[in-house]
Amino acid sequence: MTPTQTNIVLSAESLSKVYGEGPLRVEALKPKSFTARAGEVVAILGPSGSGKSTLLTILGLINPPTTGSLRIGPTQVIENGRAVANLDQQRRQQIGFVFQRSNLIPFLNAEENVRLALELDDVPPAQSRTRARTILESLGLGKRLHALPSRLSGGEAQRVAIARALIHKPAIVLADEPTASLDSHRGRQVMELFREAAHAQGAAVLVVTHDHRTLDLVDRILEMEDGVLTEKAYAAPGETSHA
Amino acid sequence: MMDLAVRDIRHDLGRFVLTAVGLGMLLSVVLAMTGIYNGMVVDATVVPDSLGADLWVVQRDSQGPFAESSRVPQRLAERLRAIPGVARTRSYVAFNVQQTTPEGVTRRFMAAGLSWPDDHGDMLPLAQGRALRAPHYELVADASLNLPLGSQFKIGRDAYSVVGVTRGMVSSSGDPMLFVSIADALKIQNDLANEAMRIETEARIGRVKRSSFGRDPASLERAAQSQLPALAPPPVSAVLLDLEPGQDVESVRERLSHWPDITVYTTDEQRALLVRGVIDRARRQIGLFRSLLVIISAIVMGLIVYTMTLDKMHSLALLKLLGARRIVILRLIIEEALLLGLLSFVVALLIGEFMFDLFPRRVLVGDADRLALALVVAGISVAAGVVGLRKALSADPNQVLAS
Ligand SMILES: Nc1ncnc2c1ncn2[C@@H]1O[C@H](COP(=O)(O)OP(=O)(O)OP(=O)(O)O)[C@@H](O)[C@H]1O
Ligand SMILES: [Mg+2]
Repeated sequence: MTPTQTNIVLSAESLSKVYGEGPLRVEALKPKSFTARAGEVVAILGPSGSGKSTLLTILGLINPPTTGSLRIGPTQVIENGRAVANLDQQRRQQIGFVFQRSNLIPFLNAEENVRLALELDDVPPAQSRTRARTILESLGLGKRLHALPSRLSGGEAQRVAIARALIHKPAIVLADEPTASLDSHRGRQVMELFREAAHAQGAAVLVVTHDHRTLDLVDRILEMEDGVLTEKAYAAPGETSHA
Repeated sequence: MMDLAVRDIRHDLGRFVLTAVGLGMLLSVVLAMTGIYNGMVVDATVVPDSLGADLWVVQRDSQGPFAESSRVPQRLAERLRAIPGVARTRSYVAFNVQQTTPEGVTRRFMAAGLSWPDDHGDMLPLAQGRALRAPHYELVADASLNLPLGSQFKIGRDAYSVVGVTRGMVSSSGDPMLFVSIADALKIQNDLANEAMRIETEARIGRVKRSSFGRDPASLERAAQSQLPALAPPPVSAVLLDLEPGQDVESVRERLSHWPDITVYTTDEQRALLVRGVIDRARRQIGLFRSLLVIISAIVMGLIVYTMTLDKMHSLALLKLLGARRIVILRLIIEEALLLGLLSFVVALLIGEFMFDLFPRRVLVGDADRLALALVVAGISVAAGVVGLRKALSADPNQVLAS
């Protein structure tokens, strides 16, 4: 295997999604193959309704694709539109999620929200607690460990969500407009965090965003238009060769 | 795995506790119904139980003296005493009295005659004072009649001094019992009957006066003098037989089976007549009411757990998105339902502990009743949890993205 192939943590083959039938039929994602490598931050751009979230829910194993195959990390997850692995387990172990808001469970404090990602996969509490503290402290939230989400600012909440998305060292991190509810300064911080985490953990981060001000921080841009996904340009290609 | 249910409850503890208190009150009514039922059975049989006779001799084909009225001649006791194996006979008379005091307070009680001189009421469960010591003008009353020890109490034409106070001695309908010597009891019965007759006679004279006969002195005379035929000597309600030690009950009973005009019951049979006869309707009524309350509690609990689940749909969707196994969601919902049930149950027990003594009639709750309620609550909780779980499992991770 070539070094490029070993780096691939996400591999999609002719992935497509059709909603509805007859006159209600919407081709939300036209068949498309693409890959993402460890350490990459990939931005997904596109107008509203173009199918960005659809793509993310398929990659996140929330919705099944109509056709296509999908490999995440070392595991073949979907084969010709059918699940061939335990999707819950794959989500627990290989995928991290961050959304625009409401990422956190309101009755769990910051630390518990982060620990949850580990404990759902049977990591013992003692260990999950230490790891959650370490990552939250590294994100500057050492003093907010016991704060409930309702007590966190938007930026703090988003950093907790990022901590939760990263703590189990997933192969891919999927983020749907994670900076939309933040001001440009905080939005930039979040993108920088993704960038650092991608490099440090060897994960591919796929970010749906409308925020063009942060595009200088991404490695690749995929553009979505009416369900058609196209590679736009490599931004600062040198950044990807971190190994 | 951290305990999600406990954390969710802690997050809105006030609401959870308030809900449990409300549900607990409902469950305490279920418990009260059980206690009232038990109390009724004990109340119904407390008098025959404490009189503790081996056999009860009553009027033929009557279920008396408690379940039905019964009259046997006073001399029956003497004849029964001659039966071999009978150690002691006691005549027993009991009747309901309702009095209205000058202040307008209505008092209802059951007066019973103790077979003086054989029976002074020593077997009565005295809380204060003593049993009867004189053949006349002394009484032992139940505490629920609120007669202070040493006070005087007028029944019929005479005043009686309160020498003893019992606790929990009530008739099968829950009225307080009052014990006097049998001679006094018969006199009271006679006085009250005469009083009733006097009122009846006055009414009759009034009717004659208002009618055209009122102008005829002779018919007035007849109206005034006519009386109900006198019954003498007055009958008693029953005769209690105490047998000699080791004496077989059935053989005495066999001997009495040829006697005309009487029916014989053991104390157990008297109890059965009371429980199955006198309080049967009330018992079934309470049983039905209790079943209804259990069903209502189940519906209320189902709704509460369902609402609690609805409030958590976003968190549940998020949990699913993060790859939570079904068991995690199941545990969250079922554990909350069980904790709600447990707290409600504890509230119900506490209410029972502090409130049931304030009820006007006996409320008796035993460990078996508490255990039964615990099992019912556990069942309801699980059923409610299943209702919530069905909703919880329908949580869609797509909702997290949509929000
Ligand atoms: N569950 C669904 N059933 C039917 N059609 C759907 C469903 N979800 C999305 N669509 C349709 O698929 C298309 C793509 O939707 P999607 O949500 O992926 O767009 P998007 O790029 O994320 O838009 P936005 O920028 O507004 O979030 C739209 O036409 C949408 O109406
Ligand atoms: Mg979208």
